[in-house]
Amino acid sequence: MTAAPPGFHASNEPRPASVYVHFPYCLTKCPYCDFVSYKTPREAIDHVGYADAVIAELRARASYAEAAWSAAGSRRRIESVFFGGGTPSLWEPKELGRVLAAVREHFTCAEGDALEVTVECNPTSLDERRARDLDAQGVNRLSVGTQSLRQEQLQYLGRLHDPAGAQEAVRGALASGIGRVSTDLIFGLPGQSPEDARSQAGELADAGLRHLSCYQLTIEPGTQFGELSRRGRLPLADDGLVAEGFLAIDEELTSRGFTHYEISNYAMPGEESRHNLAYWRGLEYVGVGCGAYGYVQTARVGAAADGGIGVRYRNAIDPKAYVAAAAGVRDDALGEGDGLSISSEPLDGETLLRERIMLGLRLANGVDLGACGRDLGVDPWTPERVRTIEQLSSKGRLARVGDTLRIPRPAWLWADDTAARLF
Amino acid sequence: MPTTPQSLIRNFSIIAHIDHGKSTLADRILEITGAVTDREARAQFMDKMDIERERGITIKAQNARLKFTAKDGLTYQLNLIDTPGHVDFNYEVSRSLSACEGAVLVVDSTQGVEAQTLANVYLALEQGLEILPVLNKVDLPSSDVEGTREQIEQVIGLDCSEAIGCSGKTGVGVPEILEEIVKKIPPPKGNPDGLLRALIFDSWYDSYRGAIVMVRVMDGTLKRGDKIRFLATMTDYEVTELGSFQPFAVALDEIGPGEVGFLAGNIRSVHDTKVGDTVTHAAKPTSDPLPGFKDVKPMVFSGVFPTDSAQYPDLRDALEKLHMNDAAFSFEPDSSEALGFGYRCGFLGLLHMEIIQERLEREFNLDLIITAPSVVYKVTKKSGEEIRVENPAKLPEPQFIETIEEPIVKMAIHVPSDHVGAVLALCQEKRGVQISMQYASTERVIITYELPFNEVLFDFHDKLKSASRGYASMDYELIGYRVGDLVKVDMLVNGDPLDALSIIVHREKAHTRGRSLAEKLKEFVPRQQYEVAIQAAIGSKIISRETVRAMRKDVTAKCYGGDISRKRKLLEKQKEGKKRMKQVGSVEIPQAAFLAILKVD
Repeated sequence: MTAAPPGFHASNEPRPASVYVHFPYCLTKCPYCDFVSYKTPREAIDHVGYADAVIAELRARASYAEAAWSAAGSRRRIESVFFGGGTPSLWEPKELGRVLAAVREHFTCAEGDALEVTVECNPTSLDERRARDLDAQGVNRLSVGTQSLRQEQLQYLGRLHDPAGAQEAVRGALASGIGRVSTDLIFGLPGQSPEDARSQAGELADAGLRHLSCYQLTIEPGTQFGELSRRGRLPLADDGLVAEGFLAIDEELTSRGFTHYEISNYAMPGEESRHNLAYWRGLEYVGVGCGAYGYVQTARVGAAADGGIGVRYRNAIDPKAYVAAAAGVRDDALGEGDGLSISSEPLDGETLLRERIMLGLRLANGVDLGACGRDLGVDPWTPERVRTIEQLSSKGRLARVGDTLRIPRPAWLWADDTAARLF
Repeated sequence: MPTTPQSLIRNFSIIAHIDHGKSTLADRILEITGAVTDREARAQFMDKMDIERERGITIKAQNARLKFTAKDGLTYQLNLIDTPGHVDFNYEVSRSLSACEGAVLVVDSTQGVEAQTLANVYLALEQGLEILPVLNKVDLPSSDVEGTREQIEQVIGLDCSEAIGCSGKTGVGVPEILEEIVKKIPPPKGNPDGLLRALIFDSWYDSYRGAIVMVRVMDGTLKRGDKIRFLATMTDYEVTELGSFQPFAVALDEIGPGEVGFLAGNIRSVHDTKVGDTVTHAAKPTSDPLPGFKDVKPMVFSGVFPTDSAQYPDLRDALEKLHMNDAAFSFEPDSSEALGFGYRCGFLGLLHMEIIQERLEREFNLDLIITAPSVVYKVTKKSGEEIRVENPAKLPEPQFIETIEEPIVKMAIHVPSDHVGAVLALCQEKRGVQISMQYASTERVIITYELPFNEVLFDFHDKLKSASRGYASMDYELIGYRVGDLVKVDMLVNGDPLDALSIIVHREKAHTRGRSLAEKLKEFVPRQQYEVAIQAAIGSKIISRETVRAMRKDVTAKCYGGDISRKRKLLEKQKEGKKRMKQVGSVEIPQAAFLAILKVD
């Protein structure tokens, strides 16, 4: 595992940060998906226009963020870029490459492979050639949306590909020599046995993948599944079986040498997603593109009168509105009626601390609460929290070593409840 | 101001069923006698408290001394003594009535005789009062003066040939009523030279002057500066202030025989000024107290707990304030495993309980959890010891109990004849014993039952209303105690008792009540990490069980950049919810569960 994150306090050493680029188009809309994505035919996507808009936003965001960081008293180095969606593998690799070049141009970035560049891919828009093209643009990590290796499950999930297509996309990605490849698996489907979840994880590992994200199916409001479920029309899995599926996958993959480094993520040593680790460690991410979220520090810890030391913003979710707003964006007026961000939430030290707890407890290594407190200028050891830590520890729900809290593996199934109690 | 000769004094009350227009008529009388000008005549002058005004009932009696010049040319002193209009305050009503020589019986000519009409008439007759029936609301199109007249004669046996039709709203007939009062109600016949005897019929607490006591002087004269004694409490005071309400307070030097007025004397609490007690001179006390005094005791008890334990001191202050002004209300510290610290409060009845709860919440801004009301049981233990049990949680274990006696009430129900069947069924279901059934008219029936008081407390009134489409009226009085086959039902969560939910019920009803409580509780107990058993038990015997399945997981699958704010807010909400959880053994139960259960039916 990589070392603990450097503190938020002023330092000569730049602090790691990330860039997230959202691509809002898909060939179809999956019924469980609650990300900003619009069903769009390949030929209807304006590859160049969207890239231009994202680049315009990048320029403004960079200028704005650099000013904020300078006010906060430290510098940043971008160590990961993540193209998410939507289906960014649909994007013309050349246009995606232009955006990546703009990131390098406007931000201080890590050199070579020290900059992790990931693109989310769908089996229907990924083959060996597309993988090579992306590699040529500087992409060094692919995340393939396999979701399932069973036909009936792919149908339930509304996916366009079949098991063979998924296997082929994974094979092509690995064969392209692009560096690192990960895939997503969804488990906890109705009628699925824990054994089936386990064997699919095993099959993907057999295919040569060294990073796997295994998500239990979550029904989100506002999705097609959410609507069906609200009306009682969606068959759902028994949560006992889902829990057993979670444990079965853990058993299978850890026996093969994977580290279960986050609740839903497994990696061979050194293969962890740096970009996602940055989220779970509470590091900043500059979000660009339609519907993207971003979080940047805006003031020196302890210096802001209102205690706000960071802001989380969200961009316009309608692609046309986004592209139009990005064309006229000014770097000195971000966030205030810029038409680009549709909401922004100031974050104070206490709020950020709760986020650090919530996110950090997702990691096998846990969260160094003492370091977080120093970072954010707040005292994390309130009497109530200390009491709760003791209670949870006595029930095997939490382990404390020094200032670090972590959830023992069997108790991960209760991570939300544990985090809420520690809020 | 000299006292008025007794021949020119008339003391009277107005009695009526709720909503039959007593307060409106009283207002009109104040207006006609010139006691209240239009500007002062707020609607229903006699009902002071907000809750009284809202509910249209009188809780604390108000009184007025009025001047009225009759057709005979003489000016009379009329003392209108208001009575609380609810069964919970039966004793107070009887004392107010015994301060009078007569009563105006108001019957709504659109409704006819109701349960309370009868109860109040009987009370007045017991006091030997002259009763003047009047038929109110003659201004309404649905008024049936003749029918009502007949009904009163038939049901109550009062001569109604001279009953006046009136309208409190328009004032029609009101001057005639005043003439009747002067003509028909006898003047007081006290002994002016006898030893002082004055009846306390109301008192309340004033933060500047201490307890203010309403008295009716029977014999002798009460003067400012007198050293007086209250015979029941054997406490002595010096009268610092005398006066009467006309209806605004007017200071007096003395109150003569037959007159009504108030006294103050730095009396620390209304608990020294018990309604029905006799006031006499400390130096020359009477040896013959006025009859009818009773020390009223609370009949209904419930636990009162603050929702937020930080409000406990505020609750105590509020209860102390209410207690200072209400001799019939009691409270003592109580604690519950599930609800924390609170008080066990005693009330005269359900209405009294509701009024106090409402005042606590409204006037003192408290957020309360109130446990199901319980009656007072008399328990004889195997050892022969007799105890009073006001709190089901305090009932001894079954093996120590010889008998449990429960209070029984005599219940009179007035109901339209087409709903008789449903009402009889309800009374049977409630373990009633029928005493009589009487036709008040071809359409209306008076049903009399003896019923266990605890059955009345539970949901009798609501069920009566729905059994009769709202047309039935009821009135009851406590007639004594009777041995019952009663058991305590405890609610257990994973084996730990929820003391606040224990109830005492008849053995035959234990299963049904236990099951419905368990089902209700199940709805509100969130799934926990392990299975939770919700059980109803009599002693160690489980009579009903519900299971809350274990929740096997509580974990978010994906949490990336866009999810963080939303997820954090969800967990913040989850955390807020946990704050309001009560820990019972290893199980967390939301406070909402207690609230919901205590509102069952």
